[in-house]
Amino acid sequence: MELLDILSTNCIKVPLLGDNKEEVIRELLDLLEAAGGIVDKAKTFAAIMDRELLGSTGLERGVAIPHAKTEGVNRVLLSIGIKPTGIDFQSIDGELSRLFFLILAPPDKAGHHIEILTELAKATKSQAFCRLLSAARTPEEVIELFTEE
Amino acid sequence: MERPFENILVYINGSEESLAAGMAAIIMAKTTGAGLTAMYVVNTRALSDLVSARIFLPMEQEEYRRDLEADGDRYLRHVEKLAQEKDQKITLCKISGSVQNEIKDHIKKNNIDLLVLGGIGGIRSRRDEFLNEAERVMRSSPCPVLLINDDEFIWDRFESL
Repeated sequence: MELLDILSTNCIKVPLLGDNKEEVIRELLDLLEAAGGIVDKAKTFAAIMDRELLGSTGLERGVAIPHAKTEGVNRVLLSIGIKPTGIDFQSIDGELSRLFFLILAPPDKAGHHIEILTELAKATKSQAFCRLLSAARTPEEVIELFTEE
Repeated sequence: MERPFENILVYINGSEESLAAGMAAIIMAKTTGAGLTAMYVVNTRALSDLVSARIFLPMEQEEYRRDLEADGDRYLRHVEKLAQEKDQKITLCKISGSVQNEIKDHIKKNNIDLLVLGGIGGIRSRRDEFLNEAERVMRSSPCPVLLINDDEFIWDRFESL
C-alpha cells in the first residue's frame, strides 16, 4: 500500500482552523469521518489521544504525525492538515507544528499501517519538501507535491 | 525433459496482488512439479526506522512487531489453504528483517530459480520508484522474476486448475 492509494483531496484541509492539539486532531478526524471509514469516532479519538499521552507525535521541522491503531476504523486512513501559522504540538524540537498527518489503521492492518508511516517518514525528512508543503494553499497542491516528490 | 523450475518462491505481504501471486505460484508449481515456498517478511527494518525517526516509541515497535507476526501467520495460512485446495505441497517461511535482503538471502541459500511477485502498480510519483518494496525486490532478485499484474486472469486460471 502506498500513500497515494489512500490520499484524496477531501481528506486534506488547508488551512486548519484549530489552535491547539485537540482541536487540530478533531478537525483531521472530521475529514476522515466525512470521507467514510470511521466506524466509531469516539473510540478513535480516544485512541489518538491515548497515544499522545505516551509521548507527543510532534516531530521536527514543523511536522506532526499523530497515529493510532484502533478498531474504530475499518481500513487504513490518512488525513493531512496545514496550519501555516503553526500551533504548539509539544514537538520534540520545541518548534511550532505546521504540517499534520493523521494516520489510523485497524489492528489487523499493521503491515499497511507501517508502509504508510515509513513513506511519510521518508517524505518529511526533506526540509525543502516540508517547506513546499507548508506553503500549499489547496488540497490539490498538496496532492501535486506528493505526486511530484 | 527437465522441469522449467525446481524451486519457486512467492513473496506474500498481505496485499490483494500478493495473494494473486500466491495463486499464480500454486498454478506454476502444480503444472511444472516444482517445489513451492511462500514467504512473509516481518519488516523489522521499517520498525527500527520509525523508532529512529521518533515516530514510534520503543514500546510501539514491539507491539507492531507482534501485529506483523500475526499478520504474517494469517496471510501464510491463507496461501497454505489455497495450496491445499489444489493438493499442492507448500512450505511456509516467516522471517524477520529487511524485505529486500531477506528475500535475496533466501533465494541464494535455497536454490530458488523463480520468484513470483504481486503486480507493481504504475509509477505515480518519483518516490514510488524508490520506495515500492516489490519493485526493489524485483530489481535486486538474483533469479528470474514472474510479476503477476492481472489478478482476474489468475483467479480464473486458479479456479479452473
